[in-house]
Amino acid sequence: MFSSLLKAFANLFKKPQTIEYPLTPIEKDKEYRGLIEYGEESCIYCLKCEKVCPPGAILFIKTDNPSVNEKNKKSLLYNYNPYLCIYCGECVRACPKPHEALWQSNVKPSIAIKSDNVNSSWFELEKLHKKV
Amino acid sequence: MKKTINIPLGSQHISLLEPVRFKFECENEKIVGVDSDVGFVHRGVEKACTTRFKYDAVGYVVARVCGLCAITHSLSYTVAIEKLLNVEVTRKAKYLRILLLELDRVHSHMLCLSHTCESAGFEAMFMRIMGDRELIMEIQELVTGNRIQFDFISVGGVNRDVNHEVAKKILNNLDALKEKVLGYMDEFTNNWSLSLKFKGVGKLTLDDAYRFNAIGPLARASGLKIDVRNEIEYLPYGEIGYKMQTHSDGDINARNIVRLQEALNSIEMCANILAGVPEGEIVVKSKGKPNGESLVRFEAPRGELMYYVKGNATAMLDRVRIKTPTFSCIPAFSHVFLGSNYADAAAILASFDPCLSCTAK
Amino acid sequence: MKKIKVTLDIVSEEIRIFYDYKKWHFLTINGVALEGDRLEVQWIFSRYETMDEIVMFYAECAYKDVIPSIVDTIPSAIISQRELVDMFGVEVEGSEKGLYLDADSTQSPLSGCSI
Repeated sequence: MFSSLLKAFANLFKKPQTIEYPLTPIEKDKEYRGLIEYGEESCIYCLKCEKVCPPGAILFIKTDNPSVNEKNKKSLLYNYNPYLCIYCGECVRACPKPHEALWQSNVKPSIAIKSDNVNSSWFELEKLHKKV
Repeated sequence: MKKTINIPLGSQHISLLEPVRFKFECENEKIVGVDSDVGFVHRGVEKACTTRFKYDAVGYVVARVCGLCAITHSLSYTVAIEKLLNVEVTRKAKYLRILLLELDRVHSHMLCLSHTCESAGFEAMFMRIMGDRELIMEIQELVTGNRIQFDFISVGGVNRDVNHEVAKKILNNLDALKEKVLGYMDEFTNNWSLSLKFKGVGKLTLDDAYRFNAIGPLARASGLKIDVRNEIEYLPYGEIGYKMQTHSDGDINARNIVRLQEALNSIEMCANILAGVPEGEIVVKSKGKPNGESLVRFEAPRGELMYYVKGNATAMLDRVRIKTPTFSCIPAFSHVFLGSNYADAAAILASFDPCLSCTAK
Repeated sequence: MKKIKVTLDIVSEEIRIFYDYKKWHFLTINGVALEGDRLEVQWIFSRYETMDEIVMFYAECAYKDVIPSIVDTIPSAIISQRELVDMFGVEVEGSEKGLYLDADSTQSPLSGCSI
């Protein structure tokens, strides 16, 4: 009983354990699961990442000005929604070229605000995807 | 004139972590009747698992049923599917799975103990336990990439490996944590705010624990020897030093002591695992679609968790049934409240460690 | 896992003879929607302090049948019976609706009945 009184007295002279985040930046470990990054030149357009994603955060939509990649036979464009993604890494594990075409960084996603119109633009893409 | 009045422990209350409503019928401070309502957080997970997600994505859906036992849900579902697909995982994957399960148990018990201290009025201890819990959250972030939702288990094995530097950091943190948990054991037995206040309050006798099918630390504190880790052969608990912790009093103090002893046993098991992880692959390829039915049980921090999965050889499953530990303990909770004072109701509820997100899935 | 087939009229008597409260642990009551508007109800038990011993009683019935209650033998079955009523829309003796779903939400979501 009395040891806790002594400990409480000693704690008056120690500095607090709180880290004042976000004023003090915290260094994230390099294996932290952050945003998914895409390297278009190495992509072979197999569409495995789109099939495997649990919430459907990667969509390949037909576009009018496709990239100059010889494997892009159906003129598709890669779209990624960082606000639907659950950062599980299934797409990276399913990709045949994991460090060149698709990889996971340790960057946290930025905060979305209303004027970004994140939801309505993504719902348009989903409608285009369903039509095909 | 009526002899009793109805007082609610409402769906919003200052000592509750999640919404639940109890309506107590009280006669002069003593509770004589209990009526409970637990469906505030119902999200329809069982229906979503059979209509909107394919069988390989359901593992991520069920992990989000609960925050504190997320890895146990994900492991149970994955083992049920592996039984239907006849996949045999390597010993190394089994050891890594137990490591995360036991780390999860330690941080969940620390959360429950800090909440119990707060309901006793000892706010300084609540802050101290939460601050020491950061040692475990750092290890979890190093191993899996995130602090609570691990997304670590997939069909056939695990997603990441543990290399030597990470293992050394884990052992350092576990050593520091063990000293602190031994300090808590000292406080919980000797400090008058925590031991005298809780002795004899909220008692569940051994006979009632048998009759109401109580599970988890609630049952073990009354002397009932039930623990799923003793009753399954799938994970090698016998090789890493597992011991069942029981107590005989059945009151709030006994439940706290059982949780602290379990936390110490789990820390010892994690150190033994890291000392003897076997070599091998971490994931095995699987083929085919699930067909048939299977039933698995695992020990979540709050008790026994059961999964029943039925498939029909297509990508969508037929039925996923989740039986969570807090759900089966609700009749035992309602029985413990009878006969105690209304003023003790918040402390008794905090000692049960209810997880309402699991109950109303 | 040992499976025992019963019918609705004998199940409460069978469970009363089988259940010993110090030997068997009651897990839950489960319902599975079968094809052709039929429902399978399962009563699952496990044995204390034994490795992997699970017993399941199962019965097949229609959605309009009244399922007997086992609360006299096992008091903690009341909560599983209330969940069965809510999720499937069947009637169980002595159990009322309203555990999870409100009156203005979609009723009986897991029911495979075409009505």
